[in-house]
Amino acid sequence: MTANSAVVSPSTAIPYKPRKRWGEIIAPYLFISPFLISFILLFLGPAVYSLVLSFFRFAGYGEATFVGVQNYEKTLYYHVFWTQMRNVVQYWVGHAIPLVVLAFLMAVLVNARSVKNKNLVKPLLFLPQLVAAVAAALLFKNFFGTNYGLLNTILGQQIPWLENMDIARWVVIIVIVWRGMAYWFVIFQAGLTSINTEVTEAAIVDGANALQRLIFITIPLMRRTFLFFFVMDAIGSIRIFETPNVLGSNMGGLAPLQMAPVLNLVIDNIRNALFGQAAATSWLLFIFIAFISWMQFRLFRD
Amino acid sequence: MATIIHPKSQLKSQSWYRFTHFLSVFMIYFALLIFIILALYPMLTMLMNSFKSDNEMYRNPVALPIVWTLKSYAAIFEYHGGMWLNFINSAIVAVTSTLFSVILCALAAFAFAKYRFKGRSLIFALLLGTMMVPSEVTMPGLFIAFAQLKWINTLQAQILPTITSVSGLFLIRQYMLEIPDALLDAARIDGANHLQVFWYVMVPTSAPVLGAYAILHFLGVWNAYTWPTLVATKRAVQPIMVVLPQIVDPVIGFVPAWGTIMAGCVLSTLPLLIVFLAFQEQFLSSVTIGAVKE
Repeated sequence: MTANSAVVSPSTAIPYKPRKRWGEIIAPYLFISPFLISFILLFLGPAVYSLVLSFFRFAGYGEATFVGVQNYEKTLYYHVFWTQMRNVVQYWVGHAIPLVVLAFLMAVLVNARSVKNKNLVKPLLFLPQLVAAVAAALLFKNFFGTNYGLLNTILGQQIPWLENMDIARWVVIIVIVWRGMAYWFVIFQAGLTSINTEVTEAAIVDGANALQRLIFITIPLMRRTFLFFFVMDAIGSIRIFETPNVLGSNMGGLAPLQMAPVLNLVIDNIRNALFGQAAATSWLLFIFIAFISWMQFRLFRD
Repeated sequence: MATIIHPKSQLKSQSWYRFTHFLSVFMIYFALLIFIILALYPMLTMLMNSFKSDNEMYRNPVALPIVWTLKSYAAIFEYHGGMWLNFINSAIVAVTSTLFSVILCALAAFAFAKYRFKGRSLIFALLLGTMMVPSEVTMPGLFIAFAQLKWINTLQAQILPTITSVSGLFLIRQYMLEIPDALLDAARIDGANHLQVFWYVMVPTSAPVLGAYAILHFLGVWNAYTWPTLVATKRAVQPIMVVLPQIVDPVIGFVPAWGTIMAGCVLSTLPLLIVFLAFQEQFLSSVTIGAVKE
């Protein structure tokens, strides 16, 4: 028996393995190489270069001096950074809740069975997303103008919407909500249509009314979409740039400090050839983004 | 919002049911109307104001123009030697970038979806890992590199950083995974080589996702502002988005020329609107793609 089994032992049996032709082996690498090479040259390389730069003082020419974590320290002790951070937090906290409530409400309304012309309503509500962020900011800058703006004309007042920084930050939030609603409504609506109708029908049979169904069935089932919203929106908020800068400045400059988002510090440092400082600030932003996403994944974990 | 016929409500009198049903439908339509007005009225003011003279805009900012004028649109062509150049810059940058991006992503997605090769999962995992890294961290490094190449104030400095997109690669790969291998084998038996399989089988079958991604990417590049403000400081190479906030009254200076700005906003939205009306379905699916898992 032992001798017999040794003969057919798998180690001695040569498995049939078709030899791949050379072209078969090389083809996938040829297909991915254009993407990979551009990715390394235009994203990974510059990102790593920025990471290295963040430990140096470098003005774009001459010698770069190693300064350790000084650039990070400088940014973290710089009052401008914290003012801009506070602005961004206000933009985020101020817009996230109204945005998710309004966009979800829109989605629920459009999805209602009694709405017959969904194919007409949906594109109409999406249109603000076609207006570029810059154009939307300009449009509302005109809208909220102090002396000639549409709103002050209707109200018959001279409210300094954009001159008073405490009000102006809320105008930024309004513009973000206006444009964001169109986008997130479409996503929530798609989420709603992908919900299994059997669960909802079972609830109808059990006698749940529309509001109960919304709160106890639809919203819990939409968890993943809401998580997606909060993560993407938080990341997007840290990277806010166009809206406050176009609303807050004249002639395409950067917004005044009391309105400026944190990205302005990166841009400012690059313009002033403080590349190490700019790199450190941008990597700090990454750390914030990573931290926020990690927090939210923990919070929403099943 | 009781839009669905409630089993209990059928027990109540017919007229009461009809009344509540009518009320809920009315309320839904009323709320929708408010949302539509909120969405469209600002866009309408943009359109109306672009047909007013600056003087009339100050007196009559709310309603239709009393005197319709095309002055603002004419000003776009005269402004600083022709702002139409900036529209062309935007178009060149967005079209070139979209073309490159779709081709690069589709080729790589094909390999990741339909070939087994050494390092496939490792490379793919590494690529996905970088999705968390915002493009802002590349800015200082890219700026220095482009400055050394003397590429500041060129169009390629605006195009190149946008051509790779890991999320695009991921979207297209997910779609290509669903395409049956038998289709590829059939083409191979017929004697198609690797590139022919890609071009004659993969591209046509994954056209919906390629179109959706192309639209999404085009929109992103057309609307880009942050990076172009850094690398395009000369009027001749600036895209329209960078120019729009800078438009001032040519005579007085320092005062925004609102009529011209509004006309510019309308013209910068128009191409997107046309694409949207033509490809509504791909457009809306490009928004939800990747966001909602069926």
